[in-house]
Amino acid sequence: MIDFELSDEQKQIQSMARAFAREHVLPHAAAWDRETRYPEEVVEAAAELGLLNVGVPEAVGGLGLGMLDEIVIAEELAYACMGFYTILMASDLGLTPIVLAGTAEQQRRFLEPLTTQARLAAFALSEPDNGSDASGLRTQARFEGDEVVLDGTKMWISNGEQASVIVVFATVDVQSGHKGTVAVVVEGGTPGLEANPIHGKLGQRASPTAELVLRGVRVPSANVLGEVGDGFKIAMRTLDRTRVPVAAGSVGVAQRALDEAISYASTRQAFGGPITRFQAIQFKLADMKIGLETARWMTYRAAWLIDRGLPHTEASAIAKCYASDVAFKAAEEALHVHGGYGYVDEFPVGKLMRDVKLNQIYEGTNEIQRVVIARGLMR
Amino acid sequence: MKIVTILKQVPDAEARVRASGGTLDLSGATLVIDGMDEYGVEEALRIRERGMETEIVALACGPERAAEAIRTALAMGVDRAVHVVSDVTLDAVAMARVLAGVVQDEAPELVFVGGKQADWDSSALGPALAEALGWPHADWTTELTFEDGTITVTHDIDDGTETLTLPLPAVVTTQQGLNEPRYPTLPNIMKAKRKTLEARPLADVAAAAGAPADRATELRASEIEARSRRNVVLDGDAKTAATELVRRLRDEAKVL
Repeated sequence: MIDFELSDEQKQIQSMARAFAREHVLPHAAAWDRETRYPEEVVEAAAELGLLNVGVPEAVGGLGLGMLDEIVIAEELAYACMGFYTILMASDLGLTPIVLAGTAEQQRRFLEPLTTQARLAAFALSEPDNGSDASGLRTQARFEGDEVVLDGTKMWISNGEQASVIVVFATVDVQSGHKGTVAVVVEGGTPGLEANPIHGKLGQRASPTAELVLRGVRVPSANVLGEVGDGFKIAMRTLDRTRVPVAAGSVGVAQRALDEAISYASTRQAFGGPITRFQAIQFKLADMKIGLETARWMTYRAAWLIDRGLPHTEASAIAKCYASDVAFKAAEEALHVHGGYGYVDEFPVGKLMRDVKLNQIYEGTNEIQRVVIARGLMR
Repeated sequence: MKIVTILKQVPDAEARVRASGGTLDLSGATLVIDGMDEYGVEEALRIRERGMETEIVALACGPERAAEAIRTALAMGVDRAVHVVSDVTLDAVAMARVLAGVVQDEAPELVFVGGKQADWDSSALGPALAEALGWPHADWTTELTFEDGTITVTHDIDDGTETLTLPLPAVVTTQQGLNEPRYPTLPNIMKAKRKTLEARPLADVAAAAGAPADRATELRASEIEARSRRNVVLDGDAKTAATELVRRLRDEAKVL
């Protein structure tokens, strides 16, 4: 009845993603972090292996992978560098609204090019004064003939500067709540669209983040996903899915934190032997393992529900919230196990903690996840 | 052109394996396609990519789990595979005799085998296979070209390299330097699902080949060598310690 085994293909995908991550991502992660560098060439290498935009459906040139396939990759890449994985994850986030709500023609037009070249997508929902309260967005959409004109500012947009396809959420009437919301596909380089890179991030510095300013950006109304009033719904359905990769990335970071803690603790000597002799250390490692395993299986379960087409809102919220909390705690404990060495960048644990803090914030803060879960309970 | 690439599944060189009671415990170890065999798979793929119409068949003899290594080769781009399923750990000579039966049925022009097998560090499988087939053989190959039904290879010898021309069919053993093996891509992993992986029981293959389905050598005893560390800490100031270190490296370890 229950099978916890990955399929043969999933094992192959896992070992390929692991080999790629350990060879091409992990050794460079510290430098990307230090230099705040977007590793374009490694994103291209990932694309050549088929690791970029895995959510594109088979009908438009994708591989037709499921969510379980995707999170197997997520865990391996995030283990090596959460910031690097966010580049790929945010691209899948950006293309998901088109997968969920795009017509066959829109999918062909916007998704097919994402499979033939190393191109990124982006998801533009948050605004400078608006994040968790997504239905209160202020970016304006105005229909003029067969065009939509967009005006406003979007904030914290991963891949915002690099993306060739951006799904922008806007409203036709700021007073009308989510009934006025609309999801519009804007292609990178459209006149009036300006991307300002955001500097000074605490972590995930390999992943480029931008503020997007839209000044009279005109696109055909054929770029509207669904209809006016569908925007909020599309955004929520998208996030219901894409929270699972965030959870999987968190699991990858938690695994890394545990591995680093074990590796350091077994060589660090104190009071005549390695510090792994002490229960104070052993209990930390055991607690990390408990969190890691439970988070991983919750993440797998949420992905399994998605792949079966079953309701998954609650499961994906639990997975995202729990896994990112567990991973932050694991990174913090791993840092502590390293003592003073954890506090300097000679060891990778400080970066793990800075990186994974964001997993508790983006794609719906963990408070919003709890709201989603509680709402389901009160229904 | 038809190429057979021989595969072995071995413990990942970077993974930790445990030795206990004089034997190796592989439970929990990560098992992978032998890196030396991967060069052969990659070379076969490159021969095809250079425009020569080529069928590439992977061939392995090993337990059920060896199928995972075979799938890696299929995902890299091999066309199909034959897996001789064996629970007996065959030695190189016995395995060569069994594999020779399948190779004769497949009748390829070229067989690639890893220069040595990473599990027990034996370099015997390639030569033994050539012997069982009665084919010419070149080992430790780093370069290879075709011309009119012959193959010219550059390979390592004790005092450098030499270049040989061999008639086909032939057995060539592969090693580092021949090429840089690719990762299987995601599309190819998905495509590999539809490729044929034919499993044949050892007893049947051995019977057909007229070879014994058992080891050619009898293993009386084996032991894992365990070396104890010397645990020496050099005393004195940096200069004294360095002088002593150099002396030990030169006189005792003989590495300087």
